[in-house]
Amino acid sequence: MTVELPPGLALQKVDERIMTLNVGPQHPGSGHMRIIVQIDGDYIVACDPDPGYVHRGEEKMAEYRNYITNIPHLERPVIHDSCNVLYPYVLGAEELLGIEVPERAKYVRVIASELNRCIYIMYWLAIYGIFLGHSTMFMWPAGDRELLIDLMEKMTGARVTHAHFVPGGVRNDLPPNFEDVCLRQVNYFEKRIKEYAAVFYDNPILISRTRDTGILSRQDAIRYGTTGSVLRASGVDYDLRVKEPYDVYDELDVHTNVMKEGDSYARSRIPWLDMMESCNIIRQALQKMPKSGSVRVKLKPNPKTKGLESVYKRVESGRGSLGCYIVSDAKTEPYRVKLSVPSFRNLIALPNLLRGEKLGNMPSVYWSLNYWPVEADR
Amino acid sequence: MGTATGIIRALNSGIKHIATKRFTLRYPEEKLKFVGDGYQFDPSTGVGIAGLKGRHMLFHDHCTGCQLCSIACEGVAEAIAMVKVPEEQKQNKKSIMPQIDYGKCVFCGLCVDACPFYALYMTNDYELSSFSKEGLIYTPAQLQVKPYVAQDSEIQISDRGATHG
Repeated sequence: MTVELPPGLALQKVDERIMTLNVGPQHPGSGHMRIIVQIDGDYIVACDPDPGYVHRGEEKMAEYRNYITNIPHLERPVIHDSCNVLYPYVLGAEELLGIEVPERAKYVRVIASELNRCIYIMYWLAIYGIFLGHSTMFMWPAGDRELLIDLMEKMTGARVTHAHFVPGGVRNDLPPNFEDVCLRQVNYFEKRIKEYAAVFYDNPILISRTRDTGILSRQDAIRYGTTGSVLRASGVDYDLRVKEPYDVYDELDVHTNVMKEGDSYARSRIPWLDMMESCNIIRQALQKMPKSGSVRVKLKPNPKTKGLESVYKRVESGRGSLGCYIVSDAKTEPYRVKLSVPSFRNLIALPNLLRGEKLGNMPSVYWSLNYWPVEADR
Repeated sequence: MGTATGIIRALNSGIKHIATKRFTLRYPEEKLKFVGDGYQFDPSTGVGIAGLKGRHMLFHDHCTGCQLCSIACEGVAEAIAMVKVPEEQKQNKKSIMPQIDYGKCVFCGLCVDACPFYALYMTNDYELSSFSKEGLIYTPAQLQVKPYVAQDSEIQISDRGATHG
């Protein structure tokens, strides 16, 4: 009996010069996924990413829980970016349940989501630094991230998995004196990340290792369907906060960072520029936010939707466009929840970027794709 | 900018940090200060009060044994079980009260949102480690105790950098 194996696993007759190398799934450099690379000496001939090791069935779990109890588990795919992962689900559930959100809650959500974006990017940057052997760039973001985690802790009561957004607003109002503390810490945070330029981004060693590696052209970036920083690093001006503003992003001045090069360096620099933009957005939101008012609409304990209808909402997360498709059938639980995640879309570009590269460039190309294994497997 | 200049600038940027203060929080000698007494919820307005989502606190005189906290936890962690309380502790007609298993609890606080009688709140206590699984199960009598917390360290920002002072 012969069993048909998937292409990456099947035994194939290859040239004697070519060796197959498994990177992962336990390798610290791959992060719960496997990259099957075929190398000729030091050069990568072919590459086959093999995700799926951390599949948790989040979408199926969502069919058995009501609209409120879905919140804690749907933010698990990316715990560092938990507000942004939950955002499209909450926006969709609000439309299905017919809830109008108070103005102050929208601003609180924007602040929370921008803080979360910075927390995610700092974690991503710390890993990127240690991938390249730059241990200072591992320690600095990991430490400075604490400034924002402290703010989120004050705001939501939890350090990583906040469970803060609910259909109808946010769980609790801002603590007293939060605006001043937030402004002070965000200003200091911005000052700190500007110091990263000298030690990391303008460092000739980093530039020589990442410039002109893994080039993704503008056409390919659009053709593969990549999103977020990967798309913007290839010269496409696309940010959902500007193109399809949700909540109060249309009232805020959001600048999109675009670079033309499309190499690993551009892909690693765009998130850093995004963090500075996030600091700007937080300052604007703190200024424009209504000083008082309700932050949550009172709901029945087990809210029900009206009838058979579906909704698709998407937001700009730390990695790119993150969508959530909800189908409801007039019950307390959704009929189907589908998460359309940016990580999986960005991973599609990996085999084409690595072909012809040196094996030593693999970590920098792989992690610059802003890929989060748990989110891709969900 | 030449390669040598770039490397010198990078080194210089790092060397400057020898003079800055240390940002590390020296736990457990220092503990972070949190706002308020923990996450609370006001059922009349439907909005929570900001605070840390730590160990719960149960007010026996308010608990009616309605099981709403347990039902709210069913879809999340199944950490709350309703148990019979002894006769001398009996406060409500059903004589049942929540018992929380912190080996399962994810500290989302949805049980606090579900309580309509101001009976279940969360506190600033997060040091819940135990040598056994049974030690993580808190009975209604244990949940009644208000934890002692000595937390006073806050992030201070000055010209010489940020510290946990």
